[in-house]
Amino acid sequence: MHEWALADAVVEAAAAALEGRDPSCLRGVTVLIGQLQAIDREIFSFALETIVSEKPFSKAVFHLETEIASFRCEACGTDWELGDARGLTAEQREAIHFLPESAHAFIRCPACGSPDYRVQKGRGVRISSLEVDDREGCV
Amino acid sequence: MTDPRPAVVAKRLSGLRRVIAFSSAKGGVGKTMCTVVSALALAQGGRRVGILDLDMQGASAHLFLGLTPRLPEEDHGILPLPVVDGVSLMSVAAFTGERALPLRGAEVSDAVLELLAVTMWGPAEFLLVDMPPGMGEEILDLSRLVPRLEALVVSTPAAVSVSVVERLLSVLKELRVPVPALIANMVQDDAGPVRKLARRNGVESVVEVPVDPFLESAIGNPVALASSRAGRAIAEALAGLGYLKGGGK
Repeated sequence: MHEWALADAVVEAAAAALEGRDPSCLRGVTVLIGQLQAIDREIFSFALETIVSEKPFSKAVFHLETEIASFRCEACGTDWELGDARGLTAEQREAIHFLPESAHAFIRCPACGSPDYRVQKGRGVRISSLEVDDREGCV
Repeated sequence: MTDPRPAVVAKRLSGLRRVIAFSSAKGGVGKTMCTVVSALALAQGGRRVGILDLDMQGASAHLFLGLTPRLPEEDHGILPLPVVDGVSLMSVAAFTGERALPLRGAEVSDAVLELLAVTMWGPAEFLLVDMPPGMGEEILDLSRLVPRLEALVVSTPAAVSVSVVERLLSVLKELRVPVPALIANMVQDDAGPVRKLARRNGVESVVEVPVDPFLESAIGNPVALASSRAGRAIAEALAGLGYLKGGGK
C-alpha cells in the first residue's frame, strides 16, 4: 500500500520541522488529506502510528482532516469540485490515487471541456500544523 | 502548510550508487534511446538499473522497451515495472497509458516530487532518468532534491543542437550538477562540434554514438536495442567511463 510511503514522508517532515528541539516536544500533527488522491484513511492512520512508534516522538498524535478537491478552469474560469467529475473508471481513479496529476489525462472542465485547469485544493497530503509542548525548550 | 514529500526523497534514493540524468536542451537528439540502451548495457554487465521517465508530456521509454504500461504494484510505496532481468521502469505512462497529459509547470513539479517520494527502487544500484528537453522544472527539481545527481548530456553534432546544449551546460554548472561526459549521438562522420563543446565547457569525455539506420526497427525490442550499433557503442563507452567498475550491492 503506497499510503505507507506518504506516511513515512509525513513523519520525516515532522521530525525535520522540530529543527533540533527535543523530539519529545512534539505532541501532535494535523495532516490534510486531499480528496483527489483518495488515500485509504485507515491504512494511512495505521502506517503513521506504526512508523512514529519507532521515533523519539512516539507519543505524537496524528489528526487527519479531509480537504475537498476543487478545480478552476484556466480557459473559461469555471470552478468545480471532484464530485462533478463523473464517469471515472476504477482504473482511472487508481491512477489518480497514485499520481494525482494523472487527473489531467482523465478529467475535463465540466463547462467547456478544456484540459487546462488548476487543482486549487485537495490534491494530496499536506501537514497543516504541528502541536508542540509549551514547556521550556520546546517553543 | 508543509509539503512532507521532499523530506523523504533522499531516503528513497539512498540505496542507489548513482543517479544519472540523461539530459539535453534540444528535443529529438536521442535522450530516451541513450537512457534505455545504457540501462540495458549496465544490466548486461550485472548491474541492477531503474529507469525513471520524467518526460511527463512525451513519455516514451516504455515504447523503446516494448512494455505495455500498466498500473504499478504496491509494497510500502509503488514498485517500478519490471522490464527485463535487472531493469525496471517508472513512468507517468504507468498511470495514463498512451493518453495525453497536459500539465502546467507547477503540476510537473508536483508529479516529479510524487514519483520521487513514493517509488521504491528496491535492489537498483543505478537510476537513469530520462529527462524531457529543456531546462525547466524537471532538472531544477532533480538538482534540488537528489543528492549526488550527475548528468550525461546528449547532443547531435548539428550546430543548432550544440548551441542549445551549451546553454544547458552553463545551467548545470550553476546548479553544480557534474557532467562526466557528453554523448555525441547520430554521428555520421564527425563528432568534432561536440568534442569542441566538451572542451569549451570542461567536460572530460565524449561518447560517440554512430548513426544506426537499423535502430528504428529495434525499437520495442530490448535485445535488438542492446545489440544495435548504438547499443554496442554506448555499452563500450560506459565500461570505458568506469560505470561497470566495482562489485554489485
